[in-house]
Amino acid sequence: MDIVLGIKVSDGVVIATSKAATRGISILKDTDDKTRDLSDHNLMAFTGESGDTVQFAEYIQANIQLYNMREGHELSPYAVSHFVRNTLAKSLRSRKPYQVNALLAGYDTDKKTPSLSWIDYLGTKADLPYAAHGYAAFYTLSLLDHHYRKDMTVEDGLRLLKLCNKELNTRMPIDFKGLQVKVVNKDGVKVVDGEW
Amino acid sequence: MNSIAQQFRHTNPAHEAFQDNDNEFFESGVDLKMAPSITVPPISQPTEFLRAHTDDASNPDCKIKIAHGTTTLAFRFKEGIIVAVDSRATAGDWIASQTVNKVIRINPFLLGTMAGGAADCQYWETWLGTQCRLHELREKERISVAAASKILGNLVYQYKGMGLSMGTMVCGFTKKEGPTIYYVDSDGSRLKGDMFCVGSGQTFAYGVLDSNYKWDLSVEDALYLGKRSILAAQHRDAYSGGSINLYHVTESGWVYHGNFDFDDTFWKVKASEGSFNNVDA
Amino acid sequence: MSVTSAVSSDYNSGVSNVPIEHQFNPYSDNGGTVLGIAGEDFAILAGDTRHTTGYSINSRYEPKVFSVGDELLITANGFAADGDALVKRFRNQLKWYHFDHKKNLTIKSAARFIQHLLYGKRFFPYYVHTIIAGLDEEGKGAVYSFDPVGSYEREQCRAGGGAASLIMPFLDNQVNFKNQMDPDSNGTAKKELKYLKLDEVISLVRDAFSSATERHINVGDGLEILIVTKDGVRTEYYPLKKD
Repeated sequence: MDIVLGIKVSDGVVIATSKAATRGISILKDTDDKTRDLSDHNLMAFTGESGDTVQFAEYIQANIQLYNMREGHELSPYAVSHFVRNTLAKSLRSRKPYQVNALLAGYDTDKKTPSLSWIDYLGTKADLPYAAHGYAAFYTLSLLDHHYRKDMTVEDGLRLLKLCNKELNTRMPIDFKGLQVKVVNKDGVKVVDGEW
Repeated sequence: MNSIAQQFRHTNPAHEAFQDNDNEFFESGVDLKMAPSITVPPISQPTEFLRAHTDDASNPDCKIKIAHGTTTLAFRFKEGIIVAVDSRATAGDWIASQTVNKVIRINPFLLGTMAGGAADCQYWETWLGTQCRLHELREKERISVAAASKILGNLVYQYKGMGLSMGTMVCGFTKKEGPTIYYVDSDGSRLKGDMFCVGSGQTFAYGVLDSNYKWDLSVEDALYLGKRSILAAQHRDAYSGGSINLYHVTESGWVYHGNFDFDDTFWKVKASEGSFNNVDA
Repeated sequence: MSVTSAVSSDYNSGVSNVPIEHQFNPYSDNGGTVLGIAGEDFAILAGDTRHTTGYSINSRYEPKVFSVGDELLITANGFAADGDALVKRFRNQLKWYHFDHKKNLTIKSAARFIQHLLYGKRFFPYYVHTIIAGLDEEGKGAVYSFDPVGSYEREQCRAGGGAASLIMPFLDNQVNFKNQMDPDSNGTAKKELKYLKLDEVISLVRDAFSSATERHINVGDGLEILIVTKDGVRTEYYPLKKD
C-alpha cells in the first residue's frame, strides 16, 4: 500500500510519498516518484490502480501546462484542484473510470496562501490542513491531530513529518522504501534531501 | 406515455449529447489509429467472454489455453545491460514448448523480453519494431528507449481491462540515454530502473541477482550472473525451464551470447560452484 | 403472498429490466490430432480423418490437412468451423497475393501472415491449434506452429490437437533424441542430432497415430499424410482402427 501524506503549514505545503513501486509480491523499484509538478506552484501526489495513476497525472499535467501556455499565467491552486476534481467526477461517469486518489499541494502567489486538497477517485474534494490516502492515514492522522498547529513553519512541518515517518516505519507491516519529500512554497516546488 | 418514458431512457439522444460533450477522452473503446483492427465478440461484456474461454485460473477446464509462466531478467551495469530469459511455455500443466524465444529483437539496438501471454508479447513487440522504424524514417534519428517503451506502454494502456497479459522489459542503448531499461506491463505501468525480474520465477531470480550484483561487474561475470539467476529460477519454479538465452547490450547494439540447455548448465554449475546441495548426483 | 419467496415481494415483482442475453457459446471441439515433422529436404503434415462432437463420430473421412498451393501445407485443428474459416481466409488471401505480386508466398511470410489472422481475433479467438509445413528459402524442411491467438515458432516437429500430449513426448525422444545417449559413450555423451529420412519419418508418424488411436477416443479411422518435397506435394493414406 502506497503512502501519500500532506501537511499544510503557514508558508507552504509539505508532501511525502513512499518510494517503493510494488507489483504482486515484489518491489520492482525503490526510487519511485508518485508526484508530478503540474506548474511552478502546483504539485500533485497520487496513488491507486497501476497504469491509471501515471496516465491520469500526466494528462492533468499536460492540461495545466497547456492552460498556462495559452493564457500566459499560472492557474491558482483553487482552480487546479477543482479541475482535477471535475476530471475525476467526469471519469467516474464514463465506461472506464480512472481509479486514482490524489493530494494537491499548491501556493497561491496572488493571495500568498498555501493550499492542500484531498481528492479521491469518486471526485470527493476536501481542503484540509493535513491529509493522507490509504493505510498511512490510520497511523499518522492521530499524530497530526495531536501535534499540528496552524502557525507552523515548513521546518516545523518537516519535524512533524519525521514523527509520522518514524511511526510508519515502526508499525507498517511492509517496507515502503522510505519517503520522497517535497515542499511547495512561494519559491516553487523543491525536493527535500536527506534520509527519510 | 412513451414519449415521457423516452426522456428518461439512457438512449435518449439528448442524454448522449451531454455525454459526448468533449470527453471522448474517456471512451475506452479500442479505436487506435496506430493499431490494426481486432474483432470483438458481438455481446455486451466481451471481456467476461474472453475470461470464460481463455483464463485457466478462473476456469480450469476452459478450452483455449494461453501460454503463461516465465522467468526473465535484465540489469544495468558498468559495461551495458545483461538480458537473460528462460525458454519454457506452459498451458495449464502442459509444457507447450521448451524452445520458446522470449527475447524479441526489436531492432539492432533494442531488445524486448516476453512474459505473460506469448502472442500478446510477440505481436505487440514486433509491432513496436515497425513503429520504431517509422520513427527513424520520419525523424532521421534512432528512437530513444524512453520513447519506444512509451509507445508500447500507451498501446497496452488503451487495451486496459480487455485481458491483455504482458510483463516486458524494453532494453536499449542510445547516445543520450546510455544503457536503459524500462519495465512495461499490461496494466499500464512503465518504470525506468537498473534491474528487473519478471514472471512466475521472478522472486528466485531476484534472490541470486540482488545478492551478487555490483555495478562494476566485468562483462564475463555479469553474463554469468544473468545465466545463474535464470538457472536458479528454472530449478525452483515449475513454470520456468528449458534453456537460457543470454544477451549483452552495448553502445554498438546487442550481442547474442548463446543458448544454454538447462540440464547441461545445471550439472556444470553444481560441480564448479559446489552449490545446489539439495540435489544429489 | 408467499412467505418463502426471496425474489418477489409487495415492493418488487421480481421483473427486472436487464436485457435478455442468451448464453453465447460459439465453440465446440471436433477432436482429431495432427502432426508436422520437418526433414532435411522435405516436410510432412499428417492428421487423422475422424470428425467428432462429444462422444458421437460424425465422419470417418473428413480431411483437415490441406495443400493450399506454393508447396504449403496447413492444418488448423480443434474447432472445425474455426479451422475451416481460417484455412479459407488463408487460401483467399494467398490468391490475392499471387494477383498482386506474381510470386510464390514463402513459408516464413505465410507464418507471419497467419499470426495476423489469428491475432486479429485476439478477443474472440479461433479455437484452433495451427500448424503449417513446407520448404524454406534454402529448400530445407520447415514446420511452424501457432497457439490459438497467433504466437508462433519454427520447429523440427510438433503435434497438435487432442492427442498432442500423447504424441509430443514420443516425438521429443524419436526426432530430437531427447534423453537419449550415444551408446558408445557409456552414458557420457548425448546422442547426436541428425536429420531423419522420409521413410523413417513416415513410419514414426504411423506409429504415433496408431498408438494415439489405441488410447484416445477422438483419434482413429484413417491417417492422411501430406508430404512436400522439391518435386511437389504427395498424399498418402493409411487406415486406422475404426472403434
